Amino acid sequence: MKWLFLSLCALCLIACKPNAHQDEIRFAIAQAPLNLDPRYATDAASERVNRLIYQPLVDFDSASNPAPILVFWQVVSDTEYRFTLNKNLAPFHNQTPLTAQDVKATYDSLLALKDSPHAAEFANIKAIEVEGKNEIIFSLKQADKHFPAKLIIGILPKDLIQQGHDFSHNPVGNGALKFVSWQNKLTLQRTKDDQIISFQEVKDPTVRVLKLLRGEADLIQGDLPPELVKYLQSKPEINVKTSIGANFSYLGLNMQDPLLNNLKVRQAIAHAIDRQAIIDKVMVKKSRIAGAILPPEHYAGNSNLEPYAYNPVLARALLNEAGIKLPLKLVYKTSTDAQRVRFATILQAQMQPAGIDLEIRSLDWGTFFEDVKQGNFQLFGLTWVGIKTPEIYAKAFGSQSFPPIGFNRGRYADAELDKLLINEEWPAATTRIHQQLPYIPLWYEGQFAAMQKNVSHYSPKPDGNWDDLATITKNINK
Amino acid sequence: MVSRFLSLVTVVFGVLLLTFLLIHLVPGDPVEVMLGESASTADREALRADLGLNQPLISQFGNYLGKLAHGDFGNSIHSKQPIIELIKTRYPATLKLAFLALLIGLSIGIPLGIYAALKANHWQDFVVTIVSVRFSAMPAFWLGPMLMLVFAVWLGWLPVSGMESRTSIILPAIALGFGLSAILTRMTRTSLLEVLNEDFIRTARAKGLSEKTVIIRHALRAALLPIITIVGLQMGSLLAGTVITETIFSWDGIGRLLVESIEKRDYPVTQACVLVVALSYVLVNLFTDVLYKFADPRMRFN
Repeated sequence: MKWLFLSLCALCLIACKPNAHQDEIRFAIAQAPLNLDPRYATDAASERVNRLIYQPLVDFDSASNPAPILVFWQVVSDTEYRFTLNKNLAPFHNQTPLTAQDVKATYDSLLALKDSPHAAEFANIKAIEVEGKNEIIFSLKQADKHFPAKLIIGILPKDLIQQGHDFSHNPVGNGALKFVSWQNKLTLQRTKDDQIISFQEVKDPTVRVLKLLRGEADLIQGDLPPELVKYLQSKPEINVKTSIGANFSYLGLNMQDPLLNNLKVRQAIAHAIDRQAIIDKVMVKKSRIAGAILPPEHYAGNSNLEPYAYNPVLARALLNEAGIKLPLKLVYKTSTDAQRVRFATILQAQMQPAGIDLEIRSLDWGTFFEDVKQGNFQLFGLTWVGIKTPEIYAKAFGSQSFPPIGFNRGRYADAELDKLLINEEWPAATTRIHQQLPYIPLWYEGQFAAMQKNVSHYSPKPDGNWDDLATITKNINK
Repeated sequence: MVSRFLSLVTVVFGVLLLTFLLIHLVPGDPVEVMLGESASTADREALRADLGLNQPLISQFGNYLGKLAHGDFGNSIHSKQPIIELIKTRYPATLKLAFLALLIGLSIGIPLGIYAALKANHWQDFVVTIVSVRFSAMPAFWLGPMLMLVFAVWLGWLPVSGMESRTSIILPAIALGFGLSAILTRMTRTSLLEVLNEDFIRTARAKGLSEKTVIIRHALRAALLPIITIVGLQMGSLLAGTVITETIFSWDGIGRLLVESIEKRDYPVTQACVLVVALSYVLVNLFTDVLYKFADPRMRFN
């Protein structure tokens, strides 16, 4: 027995020091990127990393207007755009210069890919031509005044595209960070000062917090229940920063359901939810009540939307007016994510005084999302992440956008709204959506990042991006 | 032995067929997973034809078997990586963790079981019983974070999670091994107690053999069969990947890969993982049968 005990102790005593890579900045993330080829990436983690590795032609300013990054552009006609590359662009990480040929090759290859989820966005491109070293002309099949806002795909080197290079796992761009390796963890290096930054997937939120406390991680961001955020805020060795969020959480409603097709029922549900209480009690600071998919600071947002007040008496009255026999039984579908299930139970409790009996069905992500796309639901809860362009209104509520060719999963059809969307009358359109309630708007969840005290120059951003990894610093002497 | 192998091949083929059919029955379309919700119907149909998904199921299964025969599992829908590369990376990690967990389980479980049997109905037996019941009742999602809190955060001896350090494997192996040791303790105790009352043990003692020889060479060997059965079953489960432990400890094993592929509807990865898991079970079962033969030469394979 003694030797057994001793051997177990020995196992423990061959301990390692947590700060084996003192100068490396270690970022513990909830979900690892899946694919670092910008022509394929769709998950949030891949897109956030790709913003650091590659540079697109266009990005967005603080009001989400398209802003030039690599180019400035000129509208030649309704169907033709001329882009001119800026001078002194950073070369690709393999040291070849970025030219107009690379831009053309990137978008040509994207259009040729049969299995790219982004190809459909560019189906309107008729031809891409290069003039000289720096000029690219995009000809479109149909007029699209939002076309520049679509050019957010990172530019790849032409020669590597032609060689069939595997950008998915060996990316080469011209962004602030270059690829180093991807074995268990993803390692990138900042081009300006050679700072190493690694990303390690740690799914469990408690474990992410333990890694931060133990010093095995320097930074974590988002995806923590608020009690863990509060716990971290109480730790003197940890610095927690928060910011407002722009990702829109909502309840989706099935408009083909005979109960939910009734506006009074939808209004009753909206009045049966105490958003402010949820924000105050179980969400991180700087979360705010939402009105429309795009936040008020967006150029197509609407700051005049009055939130539906929590009023269970009014909700009950609305249900009675709609001729509903109480309690109204509804099924709410959500994923198995702990925070989502927690929200579901709170909604269930809040709706009870309004006469709504909410049954919660928590499903694995694949099944849940498939049900949502198929319209196999009454209510569901989801969040729109990283949405920048007002096209989302047409895709989410337009009568021509029912799945599988759009995101109108609730199958909402409203001719009046369609007209407003076509004419791009955003205030009127968002007001109409707010009145008709094909979605019940919930909140924009606040963003936060927790980091070691010796980490600086990093702040969370409203859409949760990791852009500040281009500037983050770690003082190893502290 | 030949018929044993034939039955194994039949099992693997059955698993392949069943997985293939189940994956085609569950809701979800790989083309939609790949193209998202913006693609046109024409694009979807073109990709479906390109992937051969518009062919009859029997043809698709035939193509799948043909590719498998050449060691081609296909590519992941999301990461585009060859699946064989994913398996090559993930499975050795699971193997390492499983074997260390088994080692810990055996090192603790069998000696403690023998001790409890020898001290049957004494206070030592009760203590061992209570401890082993406690350990077998501890879920990994609780034990894992507790081990991290004590050994990583408070004592600072071991890393919290990940695979960077050589010592990263210790905590997940202990989390798995403790549960296994608890089961083995109970099984060894029960099995040994039955054997200790047998005539041949009394004879061995009457011959003047030392107690150590009686226990190790005579009693334990006779008590091994049920222990081998339990070890075989547990090892099969360990090799199938222990999703919760792998997730909590950020251990990139096959179990985590399987569950993630199911969540993301990455069907080719799911199929490959299920095949690997099934093969593991089958091989462990075969190995268990061989061990039976060693433990009790009277047993035959057929």
